[in-house]
Amino acid sequence: MLLEVIRLTKYFGGLAAIEDLDIQIDEGGIVGLIGPNGAGKTTFFNLANGFIRPTSGEVRYKGKEITGMKPHKIARLGIARSFQLVPLFGEFTTLQNIIVSCYLHPRSSLWRAFFNTATYQRNEKYCLEHSLEILELVGLDKVKDELAQNLPHGYQKMLGIARALAIKPQLMMLDEPLAGMNRDEVTFTMKAIEEISDQGVTILVVEHNMRILDLCKKVFVINFGRKIAEGSPEDVRQNDEVIRAYLGDGYAASNQ
Amino acid sequence: MISLRRTAISYLLILIFLCLLPVFIKSYYLLHVFILTFIYIIATSSLRLIATSGQISLGHAGFMSIGAYTAAILAKELGWSPWLTLPLGGLSTMIVAMIVGYPFSRLRLIYFSMVSLFFGIGILAVNQVFDYYTGGFSGMMLIPPLLGSSKLPYYYFFLGLTLLCLIFMVRFETCRIGLTIKAIAQSHTVASSVGINEAAYRILILSIGCFFAGIAGAGYAHYTLVLTHGTFNLLASINLVIYMLVGGINRFIGPVIGTAVLMILPELFRDLKEYVPFVFSGIMLLVLFVMPDGLAGLPGQIKYWISTHRKKG
Repeated sequence: MLLEVIRLTKYFGGLAAIEDLDIQIDEGGIVGLIGPNGAGKTTFFNLANGFIRPTSGEVRYKGKEITGMKPHKIARLGIARSFQLVPLFGEFTTLQNIIVSCYLHPRSSLWRAFFNTATYQRNEKYCLEHSLEILELVGLDKVKDELAQNLPHGYQKMLGIARALAIKPQLMMLDEPLAGMNRDEVTFTMKAIEEISDQGVTILVVEHNMRILDLCKKVFVINFGRKIAEGSPEDVRQNDEVIRAYLGDGYAASNQ
Repeated sequence: MISLRRTAISYLLILIFLCLLPVFIKSYYLLHVFILTFIYIIATSSLRLIATSGQISLGHAGFMSIGAYTAAILAKELGWSPWLTLPLGGLSTMIVAMIVGYPFSRLRLIYFSMVSLFFGIGILAVNQVFDYYTGGFSGMMLIPPLLGSSKLPYYYFFLGLTLLCLIFMVRFETCRIGLTIKAIAQSHTVASSVGINEAAYRILILSIGCFFAGIAGAGYAHYTLVLTHGTFNLLASINLVIYMLVGGINRFIGPVIGTAVLMILPELFRDLKEYVPFVFSGIMLLVLFVMPDGLAGLPGQIKYWISTHRKKG
């Protein structure tokens, strides 16, 4: 079990954004998390990454409790994430975005960085090579010297994924990586996600775009902060409650 | 590569010029202005070092005063050598910055500026409370000098010290530490998502910046030998911010240029001294509206204007 979420609950005032959510994610493969707007998907990500604290419940990573830990500590354990919005360091170039994200592996001490020791130089050289590799993988190597804020939207989204990859994660959480992309970009991004998964990274992806289901081995569906279904993509597509949540009561009935 | 060599040569020429300057300047007063400019260049650059993390401190003169009074009191009351109290002034300021850095690190942007402003004012109040040592409103006099009473040794000492501090700061900014801090300034959320400890880096940059502010303050104390209540007041903090903004916050050399221009120019037109605040605010407006990159960005901007003008013509 890589990530285990037990009875996770988060109230914003009187509103339950997440309520009694149980999710288990095994190592390997791509897992989907879908749900209508406002279902609590991004809130779940923020809870799992330590950006907000849950009202109650637990998040466990490899059996160790990480509930309420600081975001940078959770990142150090090997959980990376991309963001739906503000996905980058706008005033840096594409390449600099990745280089600065190679902060953990390899990690140089402040002294070494300041005094420019041989170890630091070796680390920086490795960072540069590793960053170029990542950019090639996600197809951003041709815009590596552009300022990130000047990139088209699709590229910025890809950069968010590339940056998450730079911390050498075991678990990668992608928040709507396909949002706002055109057809070609979607195809390309999905291929990149599949390639990352083939490298042994477990991926949890939040998405509205149903094409992502083709990649998933397992899908969780949440609505109003509660899990309403889980299973293989086919099961979920047939599930009455899922259809009701997405399309309304009438469609659920006609499906039978 | 050529432009890099050209930059290196021009810096070397400026340095040689500064080294030879006392040969031509016979006026002790002008030499004094240059020495003060060197000291304030350290302070303004350290303010910009902190500003690279996205935070503008409005109480930087307060941090300078910690270094100044620590050095002065240690040298005067305990008789320690000014050569020892100068670095101790920097260290003490750094320690204070580390302590206040923890609550400060949780504040961002305008909230940081406001709290640092009140810190600067609070330090002045502390100064009054311990008036037995600090002299309170009447000020502190007869601080032991660093290098006797002649101006010339001070000129070369502070030229060297400023250069040394600038080399330290430029190294700090260009290595990975500086890159990480600039990343935090752009998005602390994204930075923490890749494992960067935002709070630790904010405390780090504040302590390092304040170390240099303390050095500048201690240098000021051991050079002017007099500390008054008004030396490090709110206006002094704001002046530092103006020097920085006029010089250009985006370039390392910005605060150096800004401080040099705004401290030396008024001395050349001393008859107009009463109008200095107006001139300052005029320059400030000019910078905000016409030169967002400050004086340091002016050459690039002129090139840009010329090229667009040619295209039109």
